[in-house]
Parts: sequence; C-alpha cells; structure tokens
Amino acid sequence: MRGNQFKILIGLFLVAVLGLLVSLYYYNKPHVDVKHSEAAYILTVQNLIDEYQTDENESDKKYSENVIQVQGTVFEISTLKGNSVITLKDEGFESSIICHMLPEDNKRALQLKMGDEINIKGICTGYLMDVIMVRCTLVD
Amino acid sequence: MKEINIIVFALLFYNSVVAQDKFLTKEGYVSFFSHSLVEDIKADNNQVLSIIDTVTGKIAIQMLMRSFMFKKALMQEHFNENYVESYKYPKATFSGELLNFSGLSAANNETEIVGTLTVHGEVKEISTKVQVEKGADGITLKGNFNVDVADFKIKIPAIVSNNIAKTIKVTFELHHKPYK
Repeated sequence: MRGNQFKILIGLFLVAVLGLLVSLYYYNKPHVDVKHSEAAYILTVQNLIDEYQTDENESDKKYSENVIQVQGTVFEISTLKGNSVITLKDEGFESSIICHMLPEDNKRALQLKMGDEINIKGICTGYLMDVIMVRCTLVD
Repeated sequence: MKEINIIVFALLFYNSVVAQDKFLTKEGYVSFFSHSLVEDIKADNNQVLSIIDTVTGKIAIQMLMRSFMFKKALMQEHFNENYVESYKYPKATFSGELLNFSGLSAANNETEIVGTLTVHGEVKEISTKVQVEKGADGITLKGNFNVDVADFKIKIPAIVSNNIAKTIKVTFELHHKPYK
C-alpha cells in the first residue's frame, strides 16, 4: 500500500516537473529563425506591391507574419540604430519594399551597391506607403 | 483605415505646390512600456510613418502593430493575436496638429500635440507635450504620454492581469526629413 502511494506521488511529481518545463519552454520560445526557415512565398518586388495595392486586407492575411522572399533591385542602403536597411524599388514606381536587416547581415549589406539585383528573406509586417519587412537576411 | 489613408495622401499630394512644405519619416520610433510587480514589458517599432505639413502644423502618423518587436516571441504572439488583434486592426494611427508650429524655435521648442489616436479600432482624443527640433535638414519630434489599456477595449485575460499594467507609457521619437 505504502509502495503504491509512493509511486503515485512520484508520478504526480514527474507530471508537475514536465508541465513546468513545457510552460518554461513556451514562455522562452525563440523568435522565428528566418535564416533557417523556408519562405512561405517567393515573389518579385513589384508583384508584392501590386498585390498590396490591389487588396491590402487580403494581402495582409496572406503575407503578414510569414517568412517571405522577395527579388528586386537595390534602391537605397542605409543604417538605422546600427542595423542595415535595404530599400528595394523598381524604377518609375512610387512604392518600395523596406527591409530591416538582421544585425548579422550588416557586413554583407554594406557591400551592396545601388542597382544590384538581390534576394531578401524576412518577415512581412504589412503595408504603409511601402511594404515593410523585418528580421531580413540576404539569400544567395 | 481607408480614412487615414485619405488623410495621409491629402497631406502628401494636395496643395503641394511647394514640396518643401512636407517633412516625412518612414523610420520613426514608437515604443510602449508596461511596468508591473511581476515583470516589465517593452516593445519597439522602428518603422513608423509620419508626415508633417509645415505650413499648417498638421501631422499624420501610421504604424503597423506587427512591427512592434518584443524580447519574448510569446509576448509578441499574444500581443498580436489576442490583445490588439492585428489581423483585424493591423495599424495604429494618429492624426492631429502641432499647436503654434510656426512660432517654435530653438529657444522655444516645446508645444502641445493634439489629435485622435486610433488603436484596436478605438478612437481617442490625445493631447500631450512634445519637443520640436527644427532644422534645415529635418524636424525631430520627441515625447511620451500614457494611455489606459481599457480605453482601447483591449482585453487582458485574468491569468496575466498582474503581468500587464493598466496604464501603458508610449514614447515617440520621429526624425522627419524634407519630402523629395
């Protein structure tokens, strides 16, 4: 009898520890690792902008919070608070895709020139005057 | 959302005979901070769009809720999915006016900013102090104010109500540059 009670106690204890570990894991779960994530959509700059300008709500449902990859021409490279910002834009168009790069991509971003054709993977957060992407990384 | 777009575009493109009248940033900073006994929570947004018309002192600001970056991924997820419901209300906006804008100078750089703040689909009148630094190459606005979570009908579940403050401190810093 005492043996059984002891086993139940041990069992309850294990369940409690497991529960604690699981909740700790969720509480501390890391941000999406863009570098090692598969892009949900691969598009050109103008395709993505066109979709947003045609139907912002639908595009938001489709792309925002997803890892997406865009291909386009470098229009501007700047830095903001120590991180690179790459603007992709086609000639003659008003809107662009503004890509806020991951800190580890700074060096590679600074080697780019205006007019370079590049691929960038990142998380889309939506559309203001331009499509905004964060946690971006260059794709070879 | 449509309305604010119209305001932004009206500010941008109409009666813009003199283009130097408009100052703009697409990299403005807005953060919010919640202090409770259990924990401090902070989120930063570095992709805020803001446009000032220097003739009238009118200002329009837009930001994406999903651009707020939290330290913990889980908090960011809860914020977007459960609290501010970013899938329904993807943007927060402010539309208003910098009082006595033309009278501001380096010596007298403090004024009031008044207007309507829209978060989570709820509209609220806001009035707060703002520091304005005017230069040939830009206009910087800095300030902070408090908002009550309840004013914006943001529901916080009872289980985490001790973790999240009832009043949130919002800080902003917007470095505008001449538009084109």
